[in-house]
Formats: sequence, C-alpha cells, structure tokens
Amino acid sequence: MSAATLIAREEWRLLARNRAGLLATALLVLLVLVASFTSLERRSAIEADRERYQASTDHDFDAQPDRHPHRMVHYGQFVFRPVAPLAFFDAGVDSFTGNTIFLEGHRQNSANFAEARQSSLLLRFGQLTPAFVLQTLAPLLLIFLGFASVAREKERSTLRLMLAQGISGKSLLFGKFLGQGVLALLIGLPAFTVLVVFAATGSTGWGTVALMIAAYSAWLLLWAFLSVLVSALAQKPRDALAVLIGLWMVIVILLPRALPQAASAQTELATKIESEIALHRDLLEIGDSHDPEDPYFNDFRDKVLAQYGVDTVEDLPVDYTGLVSIEGEKLTTAIHADSAQRQAALETEQNAFVHRFSVLSPLIAIRQLSMALAGSDPTAHLDFLDQAEAFRYDFVQQLNRMQADLLPEVEGDDPRISAENWKEIPRFSYQSSDRLDRSDRLVWPFAVLLGWLAVIAVAAPFAARRIGRMGQ
Amino acid sequence: MNALRAEARLLLRSGRNLLALVLLLVLSCAAVWVGIAKIENQRATIERVEREQARDLASVEDANAGPEGDAGYNAYYAFMLTQDPPPALAFAAIGQRDLQPFVLRVRALGLQGQLYDSETYNPELALPGVFDWAFVLIYLLPLVVIALGHDLVTGERETGRLRLLLSLAGEGLWLRRIALRYGAVMAAVGLPLVVGGIIMAAPAAGVAVMLAGAALYCAFWFGLAMLVGGTMRSSTTAAAGMIGCWIVLTLVLPALANAAIARQVPVAKGIDLTLAQRENVHRGWDIPKEETFERFFADHPEWQGKQEFEGRFHWKWYYAMHQAGDASVAGDVAEYRASLARREELTRVLGFVLPGVGTMNLVHRMADTDIAGQLAYQDSIADYHTDLRTFYYPYLFEDKYFTRADFAAIPRYSPRAGTGSVALGPLLALALAALLVVAAGALRMRRISGHSR
Repeated sequence: MSAATLIAREEWRLLARNRAGLLATALLVLLVLVASFTSLERRSAIEADRERYQASTDHDFDAQPDRHPHRMVHYGQFVFRPVAPLAFFDAGVDSFTGNTIFLEGHRQNSANFAEARQSSLLLRFGQLTPAFVLQTLAPLLLIFLGFASVAREKERSTLRLMLAQGISGKSLLFGKFLGQGVLALLIGLPAFTVLVVFAATGSTGWGTVALMIAAYSAWLLLWAFLSVLVSALAQKPRDALAVLIGLWMVIVILLPRALPQAASAQTELATKIESEIALHRDLLEIGDSHDPEDPYFNDFRDKVLAQYGVDTVEDLPVDYTGLVSIEGEKLTTAIHADSAQRQAALETEQNAFVHRFSVLSPLIAIRQLSMALAGSDPTAHLDFLDQAEAFRYDFVQQLNRMQADLLPEVEGDDPRISAENWKEIPRFSYQSSDRLDRSDRLVWPFAVLLGWLAVIAVAAPFAARRIGRMGQ
Repeated sequence: MNALRAEARLLLRSGRNLLALVLLLVLSCAAVWVGIAKIENQRATIERVEREQARDLASVEDANAGPEGDAGYNAYYAFMLTQDPPPALAFAAIGQRDLQPFVLRVRALGLQGQLYDSETYNPELALPGVFDWAFVLIYLLPLVVIALGHDLVTGERETGRLRLLLSLAGEGLWLRRIALRYGAVMAAVGLPLVVGGIIMAAPAAGVAVMLAGAALYCAFWFGLAMLVGGTMRSSTTAAAGMIGCWIVLTLVLPALANAAIARQVPVAKGIDLTLAQRENVHRGWDIPKEETFERFFADHPEWQGKQEFEGRFHWKWYYAMHQAGDASVAGDVAEYRASLARREELTRVLGFVLPGVGTMNLVHRMADTDIAGQLAYQDSIADYHTDLRTFYYPYLFEDKYFTRADFAAIPRYSPRAGTGSVALGPLLALALAALLVVAAGALRMRRISGHSR
C-alpha cells in the first residue's frame, strides 16, 4: 500500500471519529433526500395540475357553441407549460417564469402566474431542491471536513514526524486529496443515486443523467481539493477555515447576486408597455385596415379582386374581412417576432455577461449546467414561448381561414359557423427538446469547472514542495 | 475611556477583524448604492413610459374623440397607465420590485383579464435574489459578527492570557470588548443606510425602524457568539459551530419552510379565476342580452331601463358583459388574494421564530416592497378601473357623443399612498429573541469569569 492511500485511510479513520463531522454529513445526506422527495412530489403535483388545466381548457374550447369564427379567435386558447422531468432536481428559473399564456388573435399576451410573484420573499432564500443542497450547502460541508486536513498536521507537528519518516510532501498532499476527494463523491452519492433511479424508471435519458453526475462530481471535487490546498498553504487550521469561508461567501453568495445587478444596469430591457406601443406604431406604419384610404390595404384589396377576377368586394366568393384578418395577423406576428427576438437577444446578452464571470465564481458554471440539463433554464422557457407563439399563429390563421371560406355560405345578420369546426382546430402539445441537442452551451461551463480543477492541480506541486520544506 | 481606546486599538490591530469590518462597510455602501441606482432606474423607466403613453394616448384621442366620437371605441382603444413609483425606503430593501410590475396599463374591459399580466424581466437575473442593504444585513452581517466574536474567550485561552486577563481587567472586560465590536459592526452597516436615507429623502422614522431591526438582529448574533464562543473549547470549533447556526438559520430552515408553505397554501385560484372570467365573458355572446344586463344591473341599478337598443351590437352591452364577467369571479378573486395573504401571514409567523426571516419581514414591510405592497397596488388599480368604467357608462347608456373635452375628462390614475408600516409583531419577536440570546450569552460569559478566578 502506498503512502498516499495510507494517508487517505487515516483521514477517513479520523473522520469516522469526528462526531460533529459525521453529524453534519448525515444532516446533509438527509437534506438531499428530503429535498429530492419533496421536490419530486411537488413537481408531479404541479405537472398533474397543469395537465388537468390543459385538458379542461381544451375541452372547453371544443364545447363552444356555433359562433362567428372571429369570436373564437378572441376566445383563444390557454396553454400551460409542462414541467421538465428533471426539474425536480433543479427548479432553475421555473419559479420565476410564468407558466400559462392566453393565446388569442393579434395580441401576444405575457406568460403569467410565476410562482415567485405569488410567494412571499421567503422564496428568495432559496428553494429546497437537491441542486440547492449540492450547490450551496455541500461546499460548506466539504470545507468543514477538509480545512484542517493538512494544517492540523502542521499545528500538531505530526507533519514534521511524517516527513522525518520519509513520507514526501507530494504523497502526503496526494493522500489528502484522495481522502477528501472520495469523501466528496460519497457526499454526492445519495443525489446521484436518486438521479440514476430516476433514469432507470425511464423518466429521463441516461446521457443527461450521466452529464449531470459528471458536472456535480467536478463541482464537489473542486471544493474538496480547494479545501485541502488552502489547508496546505495556511499556517493554522483557523486561517484555512477563514480563507475558505471567505471564498465560499464570495463565490457562492456574493458574486452570483451582485453580478446580475451589473448586468441589468448595463443592458436595459424595455417594459411591456413600451414594446406594445412600439408594436402598435410599427403596425400603423405599414397600414391601417380600418382606414378606407389606406394605401397598403387598398393594394391588398386590388390584388385579391384581381386574383378572384371580380370588381367589388361584395362579389368575392370569400369573406373579405377574413382575408384582411389573415393579412393583419401575418403582419402583427412578424413585427412581434422581431421585437421578441430583440428582447431575447438582450436577455441573452445580460446572461452572457454574468456567465463570463463564472471563471471567478464557478457556482455560475454549475448552475448553468445543472439547469440546462434539467430543462429548467431560460432557454427551455424561451423554447416554450416560441412553440406557444407558433401554435398561436397557426390556430388563429386557421380560424381566419374558416371565416374567409365558410362565412359567405351563412345567411343572416348574426352569421355563425358550426361548432363542429372547433374540433378541427389543433391543441397545443409541447415538444420538449432533447437536452443534449444543443450541447454547445454545455461546453463553456464544463470547461470552467475543469479549468478550476486544473488550476488546483497546477498549484498542488507548489504546495507539496512547501510542505516538504517544513521537514528540513 | 482609556480602557476602551486600548481595546479599540487591539481590535483594529488584528488584520482579520479590520478586514471583516472594512468588507462589511464596503459591501453595505455598495448595496445602498446599487439600491439607489435601481430606484433611480425605476423612476426613469416610469417617466419614459409616461412619455410614450402620452403620445400613444394622443393618437387614440385623434382617432376616436370628436364631435361625433364614440365612447365605446375610445374605451376599447384607450389604455390608461397606472404606475407604482418606488417608495423612498425601497433603496434599502428592493424586495419584490424586481419582479412585480410597477407600470401597468388597463382599459375599461374586464379587469381580471388584465390585472395579472407580467412585466418583462430576465428570470435568470432574478433567480439569485437582489443585492441590496437588506441582503447585506440578513446574510453577511452575521458572518462578520462570527469573524469578530467567535474567539473572544477561546482566543485568549489559546494564547494562555485568559487567567491573567481576567484577574487584571475584571468585570467590565467582556462588556467593553463586545460593546466595542457591536458598535463597530453597527456603524459599518448603519452609516451607509443613513447616508442613503438622506440622499433619497427617506422618512427618518422609517430609517430608524430599519436601524432598530438591524440593531436587534446584530445583538442576536453577538448573543449567539457569546453563547457558542463561551461553550466551545477551541476557536475553530466555535467558528464552525457558529457557521453551522448561520447555515441552519438563514439557508436551511427558510428553504424548508418555503417548501412547506408552498405545499400548504396552493395559489391555483389565480388560474381558475382567469379561466372562469374568460368563459363568462364569452358566454355573453351566446346568451340572451337581458341575462347579461340583469347581472350588470345587480351592481349598477342606476342604468336599469336604459338597456334597449336596435340591432345586434351596442357598446353598452359589450361593457356590461365584461363587467358581469368580472363580477362572476369575485369569489375566486377573494380566494386567490386570501391565499397570497395567507402565504404572507405564515411567513410572518415564521419570522417570530427565525430572526433572519423576522428581520426580512420587518424591513420589507417598512419599505412597502413585499407582497402586501403589490396587493395594495393591485387594489388601487381595481379602484381606478371602477372609476374608469363608470366614467364611460353615461356616454354609453345615454348615447352621448365623445368629444375632445370628454376625452380630457377621462379619470387619470394617481399613484397609491405608500402602505409601509412598522410590523410591531416581528419587531417585538426580534427584540425578544435578541434579549433571550444575549441574556444566555451574558450568563455564559459571567460563568467563565467566575471559574477562572
């Protein structure tokens, strides 16, 4: 058995006798399990709720009586965002995004009823998910387990003794790395087991889970190794603890909160009102369908008349208002898509600003990885918004088409078409994209985590030499 | 006095103590600065939106108000602005103002379909929570107290000075040392708040309440430092023990409690009422118009007998239908609001037990930036919406033309008066917690003095 494994084993033996350490570890494991189960239950409750709502509003749509199709354009459809399966592990931004949108003709409504708007400020203390425990609390535990690992030997002069016995500084440090590294992975084990079991039930792909486990392993190892390294460089255990707690505070608590303020000050988002007004103005610049003298819509009318080979709107075999609605919807949707894209680009710019600093605060990297893999990141939300908007456009145009084609056959001053038609209108079904599909966004955060490990690896020989010199 | 000065010199000579205090001062200044910038930004945004809105409204006026203007069209197209300017104290405790809308447009259609619209915000930036003075106070101040206070006794014992010190300095030693540290921490966290309050012209009483909250919260942590530091044998275990307390009190228990509250009090009524309101409004197109008017007259009997009209459509029926839709979900609305209030109430109760949560409740209630503040804003919008639609009714029911003079008479929203208040319960609970822990800590310290003699 090499000196390093002996030292690692000694480290584990010591820990097994450290009652406070064991208690803290047990509490953390318990917390991971409690978080997993409550979060799992919460996710399925939310998911069941949304499925129920979706089914009931879909049913309501079918149950509408004979109507003018334009009434159905404004009756609209509600769509609910399904929760990604792994969102139980990391809720990501899910609590901060609205989860239901009312879709209707020529209006783009906001996604409403975000949990964060309906919760007290308590939510801002953090949400109890396995990700919160692993990202925020586990590093502290690893600090407590590792801060004294080398510094303790220095303080008690056992270090000098070991060096005199011929153990090199290198193998001593390597042994400590090994001991604390294995501990770190053990601490991650309950959460990893939950993930594996979840994948085994077929609820999510193995690839996603494997990457998730790899990401959190890197994160936990980072803190274990950092603790040993600082402990090796510090004179006293207390100094090591102070430095590590300071680092934790800056990396995990301070920077992640302070950076978004800088990002939002740099790139400002327009309010919803400003976007709406701008949209309205852009639209009027193209044309006003209510204005009989409007050049754009007069052109449009002439084109339609020529297409059908008639002289007046009244002679058309189709409902002209329906055609105007189709044209108008096309225009508003294009303008809105533009402005939504600009807005999304601004948000991406803000986030990219924060992500750049993940080099300083790797928490940002693990958070980004974790929520991207869990399907609870802003990208997943934007994907939902895009799909909802595409769906909105399709069903509204389909209703407008019904108005154009079917209305001329209907007599009377209150024209309505049969309720049977509503059943032909499609229902929303969200296609969740594969998390690994766009793996390019995972590269940078992984590189940051590995980069930190590499830096620690580079610093380790230097620390080992310093330890080795203490024996002389 | 001389003894105190000597102690001060001793305190600041330690690099760690000095660093901790300077760090707290810098962070607290930065937080106040960020808070002020955020508030200024929200004010500027409101002004910007007001300008845009004025232009937009002018075009609506041109299109719909005139000698033969139709109030129905005007009410349909004229969105009216409501705004919730940041309260003076919001710079210290931004609370939910990063998520909740502070500008919202409404028109005379059904309110319940408009009231819950979201503002544009970047969810990823909102996720970690705001960086403001309240954050520095609740999360970071305890860590500084721990750095300054955990080794009061153990540090002296470890250097072997404890006995000598106790025999020489006598009774006042711990009091002097703790009071000095307490004063330094309070100065670091309090001065930036006071300066910020002066810059923002915040009410002095509000700043005083926040300072009182900070003083009690800080006392609680010093009490804990005496208690834990006086019990543990080594500085390291004392520090580890106190960090453990901090984790449990400010990270673990609040997160657990939040999960429990979310589970205990569902808020799905918001969706229910939105769905029901849509159903009821649209049903109006398919049921006899008398039914809709009947429902409307229940709240507005003054228009009874004026419902007749020729043809298929009249705006008075249209707006009556929207009002009837709102009225039909009044029960759901009340339940929805009650569920939000219930969550807030449970958080308040939790604050009686957890000092961090209690302090959070106290400062945000004072700043008026919590859920209660948002509900008050929604109430004021609802009141305004009532004014707005009742303004239009005479034109609709009496078939009056809507002229430019009438347009000028459309009621405008005037911002609500702030509802920030002293949360007495949380304040007293915080005082009690601080008193208990400080007393226990003092007892512990006295015993040490006794033993060593």
